[in-house]
Amino acid sequence: MAVEAERGMTDMGSRHEPSTSGAGVVEAVRLRSIQKYFGSNHVLQGVGLCVRRGEHVVVFGPSGSGKSTLLRTINLLEEPQSGSVVVEGREYGPGVPGEPKQRRGDRRELRKQVGMVFQQFNLFPHLSVLDNVTIALRRVKGMKRGEAELRAARQLDRVGLLSKIGSYPAMLSGGQQQRVAIARSLVMDPKVMLFDEPTSALDPELVGEVLAVMRSLAETGMTMVVVTHEMGFGREIGDQNVFMDAGVIVEQGGREIYTDCREERTRSFIRAVL
Amino acid sequence: MLAQQARGFSFDFSVVTNNLDLYWAGVRLTLFIAVTSFVLATLLGVLIALMRLSRNRLVGAVAAAYINLFRAIPLLVFILFVYYGVRIAFGLTFFTALRAGIFAFTVQYSAWLGEIFRAGIQAVPGGQREAALSVGMGRARTFFTIVMPQAVRISIPPTGNMLIGMVKDSSLVYILGVNELLRTTNLLANRTFRYFETYLATVGIYLVLTTAIYYLVKYLERRFAISDVLSQATRRYSPFARNRYQRLRTLQEAVGGGSSIAP
Repeated sequence: MAVEAERGMTDMGSRHEPSTSGAGVVEAVRLRSIQKYFGSNHVLQGVGLCVRRGEHVVVFGPSGSGKSTLLRTINLLEEPQSGSVVVEGREYGPGVPGEPKQRRGDRRELRKQVGMVFQQFNLFPHLSVLDNVTIALRRVKGMKRGEAELRAARQLDRVGLLSKIGSYPAMLSGGQQQRVAIARSLVMDPKVMLFDEPTSALDPELVGEVLAVMRSLAETGMTMVVVTHEMGFGREIGDQNVFMDAGVIVEQGGREIYTDCREERTRSFIRAVL
Repeated sequence: MLAQQARGFSFDFSVVTNNLDLYWAGVRLTLFIAVTSFVLATLLGVLIALMRLSRNRLVGAVAAAYINLFRAIPLLVFILFVYYGVRIAFGLTFFTALRAGIFAFTVQYSAWLGEIFRAGIQAVPGGQREAALSVGMGRARTFFTIVMPQAVRISIPPTGNMLIGMVKDSSLVYILGVNELLRTTNLLANRTFRYFETYLATVGIYLVLTTAIYYLVKYLERRFAISDVLSQATRRYSPFARNRYQRLRTLQEAVGGGSSIAP
């Protein structure tokens, strides 16, 4: 594939390469002691996670383990009861108990730096494909229409949908819709991309095209956090692999986790899925 | 002549054709009442719907009580209450018969429309809001650019039904002596004793009015439907679509393709 060309060519390449400063590798995202309840259900029980720049984190685990909630906490679509989210050095969320109160960042600033792709795509059905991708550029970044459309068209070209710019979401296949959704997030130039089971709502035939786009995105060095049931894909791109169950991180590690994990719970899950 | 008429054998529609100016004045006032009330009720209804969905419990409860109260009172009772009750008890000379009627319609229809709009807003999937927030939009922007356009499309058919109901209900103010279509007919009939002919004409006029609204609503529904100008024939006869087609083509050529990360 045209990976080399892309690295040179764009907006995404070098900036997202893992960069090291004096202290070591720079963090893109850090979750600190996240506590989240839905009513009396304790879905995240003091979870912490560190994502380095350019790293690809894969989160897996059974349904109801809190992995989607964890992902949605990163851009504060779920507001935790306590704990904090640190993105590019800036702290958001209610904070860790016992620490001195400090000024926290605005949620909208956080969301401008974090892109998100949903299981159900969530494209805006009343807007054309092009408008889906330009709307945030124009309404959030205040970009002029012409420039926004040019950028959006480039991004749509990257996901192979330049021919569909005039279509509406309902006219596209699930795989195409999800690729538009990826373009909609990427066009905002996020520092981190979150994927919440991006292929779970797709026909098996269409999973491949979405994974291919995600794979190439990973190759450009984008920082990614992916919640997925596609264990094969996880094993392929996951630098850091996180197994969650019942609101806690049971185990995390490199690729070896898929073949040689420490915890029995992880082993039984992987055996059942793979 | 009277005896002949009582047996019902001779219909004479000249009473209608000779008084078209009266009918026309009646129709104009009927439409004025209906449209004015409906526009006001729509604005108030949007406010009621937003209050109903407010995160503030008290505001939500006030809106719910408003809806509950005004849907409960029969419209005719409410009209009489506003005009004879409220106006006289409080000396509100502002409430002429016409204004009292429009006020009563506005209040009652805003309660119904408020419920329609609330349902329309709630029918937009939560994922839409989340997607908008996730690209950095604020709450207000999310509502106006993402949620509302979808809610409007959902609300068009039931709102159209309400408009048809409004045109018909506007006849109720005849009881206050407002010279809209029904009272005009009533006076004409009493003067000429041609009840069948005059009322038949009025029935026909209401039929024409509601049918026209039906087609207006259908047109709006189609207007808000979506179509792809790049693949569909619409561009051939709509100058707007043709312009858009040109713009998209130009954009495609400018980008040109080739740097795809897609399969």
